[in-house]
Amino acid sequence: MNPQTGAKLDASDAALIQRIVQRDESALAALYDRYAGMLSSVLNRILRDTRAAEEILQDIFYQLWRTSSRFDPSRGSLAGWLTVIARNRAISRLRKHNPSSGEQLDENSVIVPTNLDNVVAEKEMMGRVKRALGKLPQEQRAVLELAYFEGLTHSEIAQRTGDPLGTVKTRLRSAVETLKRTLQP
Amino acid sequence: MNGHPTREEDFDLYALGALEGGEQQAIESHLASCADCARKLAEARGRVAMISFAAARVEPAAHVKELLLARVRAEGSGGVPARAVAPREADSGGGIFGRWWTAVLAPVGVALAIATILLWNQNERLNREMADLHATLITQQRNLEEARHAADLLAARDTIVVPLAPMPGMPNGIGRVTYNSKMGMLMYDGKVDPAPANKSYQLWLVPMKGDPINAGVFNPATDEISHWMMKMPEGITPKAFAVTLEPAGGMPHPTGPKVLAAAIS
Repeated sequence: MNPQTGAKLDASDAALIQRIVQRDESALAALYDRYAGMLSSVLNRILRDTRAAEEILQDIFYQLWRTSSRFDPSRGSLAGWLTVIARNRAISRLRKHNPSSGEQLDENSVIVPTNLDNVVAEKEMMGRVKRALGKLPQEQRAVLELAYFEGLTHSEIAQRTGDPLGTVKTRLRSAVETLKRTLQP
Repeated sequence: MNGHPTREEDFDLYALGALEGGEQQAIESHLASCADCARKLAEARGRVAMISFAAARVEPAAHVKELLLARVRAEGSGGVPARAVAPREADSGGGIFGRWWTAVLAPVGVALAIATILLWNQNERLNREMADLHATLITQQRNLEEARHAADLLAARDTIVVPLAPMPGMPNGIGRVTYNSKMGMLMYDGKVDPAPANKSYQLWLVPMKGDPINAGVFNPATDEISHWMMKMPEGITPKAFAVTLEPAGGMPHPTGPKVLAAAIS
């Protein structure tokens, strides 16, 4: 590791964004190294198509390069925003919607439960999420994953699983309640 | 919805994209004028985004980063040290003819670029409008289909309506099951007090033979009317219906006390 790379890895998201605003490619590369794995994972899970996932991944970071001056790290989470954008785009691609439909998302409108700009925090959060999902009854986890990874609404989940709409609503509500309790700081 | 969402989880459900129709519109119209709720939604988006960690780790191929950085360099942004810039074709010679063709073609190129951008923007807008209309159409078709099924069920001569009576000492409520074994359809309507924390209501169809069958789990808000339709299993003749109080999310078999119940005479 050369000294410059070390500095990049230690820099906060806010510092890297500031450098991107000043058109520093190495800051973009550092943010890519930090978050591309996380985004690639969710894109591949939703799309199950490596090439499509790679296209969206590249587009997201290119958008960050183009619009970085609009992002205020003190008001929102970069990791959260990148993840929400990745999921929205993948679901749109999956459902053959216009990629921009449903993406009325302000750059500062996602607040994650913890700062994810270091590997330790990311792994700690990953462990908490996996433990929370592991504790859910199978039926609740299934509806939560259908909603998140396939972008299905209550009615669409009911149609897919054959369960009554009321049952689906209750299961999903219980699942998000559990997730919320687990992720509360 | 004029006030805040009645339950905090509504923000998470909205962030998930699970809400639809009136539920979705109610939150959207409220968010436009409520900074507190906009912040709660931002937090819910962050929580929901963490579900991404359930996905198996997939590292992107090395060429993705290379292509990204090549694209950034190609954009021609200033201020990046050691950025290679390809020589422009107009600077590479060509004498008077080169300059003449450049002078003629440059405005044409600019005009074409502007036209392309305008058409692209128009196309994007039309695509967005079409996607919105498509989503509205699907919701309306779904509602219409459910209304038709309900009308058919209510109009059939052999449809049976079973009022469910409240049980002593249980939360207040009334309910009604409307079913038709031949059509294989069942509809529930009811209003009961909200379930206690970590509990859900569950409707059971008790058949003449065999164990009770789950006919829906629900968690109504205050004054909310619960309503759903479902297919009945084939060859089932009910002898009773009951709503029980179960652990949140429901159970495979009834374990809790009856809240509403009725035997079929």
